[in-house]
Amino acid sequence: MYHVDITADLNDEDETGYVWTFLDEARDPSQIKPGSLVVAGDEDAAAICQVIDLTPAGDGTIVHLKLLPGLVDDYRALVERALAS
Amino acid sequence: MPGERIEQRSRLRAERPPSTATLVIRGGRDTPDKLRSHAQRTARAWSLDGQPLLGISVFAVLDIPLDELLRRRFTSFRTIYLPTVARLAEHGFGLLATGQRPHFTIHLHRADDQELTHLLTALGAPQPNPQYARSAVWREES
Repeated sequence: MYHVDITADLNDEDETGYVWTFLDEARDPSQIKPGSLVVAGDEDAAAICQVIDLTPAGDGTIVHLKLLPGLVDDYRALVERALAS
Repeated sequence: MPGERIEQRSRLRAERPPSTATLVIRGGRDTPDKLRSHAQRTARAWSLDGQPLLGISVFAVLDIPLDELLRRRFTSFRTIYLPTVARLAEHGFGLLATGQRPHFTIHLHRADDQELTHLLTALGAPQPNPQYARSAVWREES
């Protein structure tokens, strides 16, 4: 069960080739900035993504997300390894 | 500042529809509520011929083998759906060539309970993704 920063359907892509979702689906939209790393998806399927850009569309703002390789758990293990004394 | 919905008609890829035998991938384990939420998100952002476009994203196995596409794009999904184009069509669902090849959008008409339940039936049973967790991140041996 994941607690994501921004809800998205990780199957969604547009002509940019990036995953997209709406900014107002973020837990804290102020943290969603180009270059930020976030956990995107839903409680069942999530991935680490990099925010690419924010674009007005429809009645809100679309966030483009670059899927990064690996599972969320892999990044936790990576950080724990790096910080281990 | 909010903008207009993104009209998809002029953006649809000009390519032949995939053959009926083509496999279609959708990652995840869906429910009617999840599908409704995803379809409504698409309709919020996209339009088709001026009308909100209710749709669900899938990828077709066209230019690269299934396992390669799963490895490139679906490693974070424990389960996947893998219907054929024919199976979707038998249930009345057509594909729009949206985004970059091989992404497609299953075009819905109402996204109500009946249609979404019907779509779940068309997607078939979720199955284990053989490329799940095939990570590019170095993992300690346990």
